[in-house]
Amino acid sequence: MNKSFWSAGHRPTLFAAFLYFDLSFMVWVMLGPLGVQIATDLGLNAAQKGLMVATPVLAGALLRLFMGVLVDHLKPKLAGAFGQIVVIVALLLAWYSGIHSYTEVLLLGVALGVAGASFAVALPLASRWYPPEHQGTALGIAGAGNSGTVLAALFAPSLAVMFGWNNVFGLAAIPLTLTLIIYWLLAKDSPSCPPPMPLARYLTVLRDKDAWWFMFFYSVTFGGFVGLAASLTIYFNTQYGIAPVLAGYLTAACVFAGSLVRPLGGALADRIGGIRSLTVMYIIAGTAIALVSTAPASVWAALALFIVGMLALGTGNGAVFQLVPQRFQREIGVMTGLVGMAGGIGGFYLASSLGYSRQLTGSYQAGLLMFALLAFVALVGLTSVKQRWRTTWGAAHLSAARV
Amino acid sequence: MPLTITFGHCSLQGKREQNEDFVGIVSPTGEELARKGHLAVIADGVSGNGGGRLAAEYCVRGLVTDYYATPDTWEPLTALDKVIQPLNRWVISQAQHRREQGPMATTLSALLLKGRSYFFAHVGDTRIYLQRGKKLTCLTTDHVWDRPDMSHVLTRGIGLDSRITPDYGDGGLEVGDVFLLLCDGVWSTLAQGQLKSLMESGLAPEALATALCNEALAKGSHDNVSAIVLRVEALPDDAWADVITRGADLLPPPLLKPGQELDDFRVESVLHRSLVTVLYRVTDTRNGQSLVLKTLTPERGSDPIERNHLLHESWLAKRAVARFFATVVEIPPERRSALYYLQTWHAGATLGEWTKTDRHVSIPEVLRIGIALTRAVGALHRRSILHRDIKPDNVHIGQDNEIRLLDFGVAVSGMSPTANVRPHAGTPSYIAPEQFTGALPSARTDLYAVGVTLYHTLTRKYPYGEIEPFQHPRFSDPISPTRWRPDIPIWLENAMLKAVAKDPALRFETAEEMLLALERGASRPLPAPAATPLVDRFAAAAPRRWLIGSIILNVVLLYLVLVLLAK
Repeated sequence: MNKSFWSAGHRPTLFAAFLYFDLSFMVWVMLGPLGVQIATDLGLNAAQKGLMVATPVLAGALLRLFMGVLVDHLKPKLAGAFGQIVVIVALLLAWYSGIHSYTEVLLLGVALGVAGASFAVALPLASRWYPPEHQGTALGIAGAGNSGTVLAALFAPSLAVMFGWNNVFGLAAIPLTLTLIIYWLLAKDSPSCPPPMPLARYLTVLRDKDAWWFMFFYSVTFGGFVGLAASLTIYFNTQYGIAPVLAGYLTAACVFAGSLVRPLGGALADRIGGIRSLTVMYIIAGTAIALVSTAPASVWAALALFIVGMLALGTGNGAVFQLVPQRFQREIGVMTGLVGMAGGIGGFYLASSLGYSRQLTGSYQAGLLMFALLAFVALVGLTSVKQRWRTTWGAAHLSAARV
Repeated sequence: MPLTITFGHCSLQGKREQNEDFVGIVSPTGEELARKGHLAVIADGVSGNGGGRLAAEYCVRGLVTDYYATPDTWEPLTALDKVIQPLNRWVISQAQHRREQGPMATTLSALLLKGRSYFFAHVGDTRIYLQRGKKLTCLTTDHVWDRPDMSHVLTRGIGLDSRITPDYGDGGLEVGDVFLLLCDGVWSTLAQGQLKSLMESGLAPEALATALCNEALAKGSHDNVSAIVLRVEALPDDAWADVITRGADLLPPPLLKPGQELDDFRVESVLHRSLVTVLYRVTDTRNGQSLVLKTLTPERGSDPIERNHLLHESWLAKRAVARFFATVVEIPPERRSALYYLQTWHAGATLGEWTKTDRHVSIPEVLRIGIALTRAVGALHRRSILHRDIKPDNVHIGQDNEIRLLDFGVAVSGMSPTANVRPHAGTPSYIAPEQFTGALPSARTDLYAVGVTLYHTLTRKYPYGEIEPFQHPRFSDPISPTRWRPDIPIWLENAMLKAVAKDPALRFETAEEMLLALERGASRPLPAPAATPLVDRFAAAAPRRWLIGSIILNVVLLYLVLVLLAK
């Protein structure tokens, strides 16, 4: 990172965007680590547990589009504040009136999805301040907020043991409110604002086959990452009878590994090629998940396999996002939105399929194997993309985005 | 708006018996102006009796006619140099034939205004001045002996030496720039202050030129006096737009199916379709000729930059005329209803199609292709065209046994606008290593691609492994092709390794050099390239040094752990 980066753009906004993103991701997946305790108290079955943790993921993915439209019309800062207020109010309501049924927890999950949609706000908020050559770095720093998922897995179960899970919602509202205040004071809308994107633009980019494949690639890598982040606490608890707090720590270890290697994935793709690194990562992740689906006798073996899988998926996330901005230079805004949404849908699929697999077959094996299979389907996609990319890349296709 | 100038000139005999100065200005219009620009030349002949005038006039007349006859693809300074060299040889030979005239030489200062730039070529003691705003600068250096008594004796001049090295220079133009081309009779008589006050008198170019000459004579110049004055009145927005005058407003046709017709061309089949371009094989229903029609996909056709690229491509392809290329077929403008260009179609297959099937390609076959390919590349480079996308898919082996280099999609020439010359266009595995760090394309990068093409045809592998789009690889030493295919003769292997060397300085310098290496073959083999010493490889990869160091450290630590456990 060079000096010109720090002199360009607007540092307080970058910091505010990171903070907002980080804490939003924390609450987005918080039902996962709390899932064991909530499920016990509400008497949920395995499929319901899966859906409970998967709902915020899906809501987050779909609400991204809504938040994207909001950003276009309200400007990023106001849209972000709106999103944060919705989440804080929902958490306080849940804390004040309590969660008493499966339906209520799903409703809360939808509200937490707004936090997951912060992606669509925090990234433009920060990146619009930066000239094209520094946008990647700015996106990387703001995007490091992915690590917020670790915080949830680390703290939520212990707090639930100490104060009861319902109070955790109230406790989570405290840092969120602080963040909102800091955000309001520090963040500033960039003076340059691209005009709102008409919906038709989304449709034109979908005519490109590569767009579909990249949505699929990200739905496997990011879907795997976020789906596991949401489900692993419950998995460790049901499969190995691990107490919720320790299960939370184990999940945190996996998630931490996955979010840490993301920048490494970008660098690796740059050096050895995005397709090549994704191929390797899908093979590693697919194999690790397929192995773990056999439910190894020792929880440590399972943990090791999950960490390996998460490392591969996290690296894959970075690799996908090294390729997307370069391949879709002109449609970059639209494509980040679509690819991000696909990632969320992948997460929803994984989290809910694990619950259903447990419910219907009595084990997680089918769900995990299906996901491993998806990783291998992605390999087929990579081969097709590789074939198509063995072509001339002209100055016009590679030239920097015209701004 | 084209590049508009006003100009004037004056040349007076003064006190001499004869005017040995000569001046010339060419100010074309329309497409020729955009391609070639305005040219002004001044020459001051030197001789005992009369030969100087002949040399000066011949050089000026020769330069102003021959420059406009040079290939359009040459860079302006290349074109000036290629014209000045033979003029020099002619003057020398004339001096030898007409000894009675005594020695015969001339100075020469030429100024070319083209697009938004000026270029000059200069030899001798005539001068070119540029006045921008209030500042008057002399662009040229006098080639005279640096001694007071010999300050009029030329060190360089046309006709003095068989090899001549003119000074060249260039710069950007601004509206209001005034250029002066003066012979020594004017500039040595007028002090800088007088020159400046005349310049600021607000005279029109023609009047200013006359005033400069008269003033010099009034101040007692004993020499002939000559001056050219040019004033830049308006600059073009985009010089390239004026070159391509036709077709810029046309849109590409919609996607066509076999059997459909467009401007009386019947589509036979779709040859190739990429994200940006479509190629059809068509038949001209008026004469039955088989042609290839290249156009943009309708989605990309809405982008004026892509349309300009296609026009640039057809413009270049039209200028590459040789048996190694498909010929561009012109049609009358009234027949054309859409944006596309046509080339002759040839039956056969591309080298890419050969390598994708398991067809065995023999060494003599590859050698024949390699020789034809280097000839083709040489023919392009002589026209200052860089192909930038040489690869098996673009090498066509016709049923007529001709080898043709196809697809000028990312080719550039000395004339191309900078938007086209951006580095890093082409097919990743065939892009030379230095281009990944931003080096501009050159003859050597094209020859690198020829090397990789031969390498890939023989082995179906790449010398540095396959490179993906958007990858920034590290290059080490290339893998020897004999590792994949042991029957490759050692001299051919060395020639290929030289062509694909990582360091551009180690590659073939010109296509002709590579051609010679391939033609001589085993009779005069090249030395094998030296492998990079381990120390250099180690030094080149600083981050890797840490990695290697940490691996060693970890092995040691692991060993220590084992030792401690064994206790």
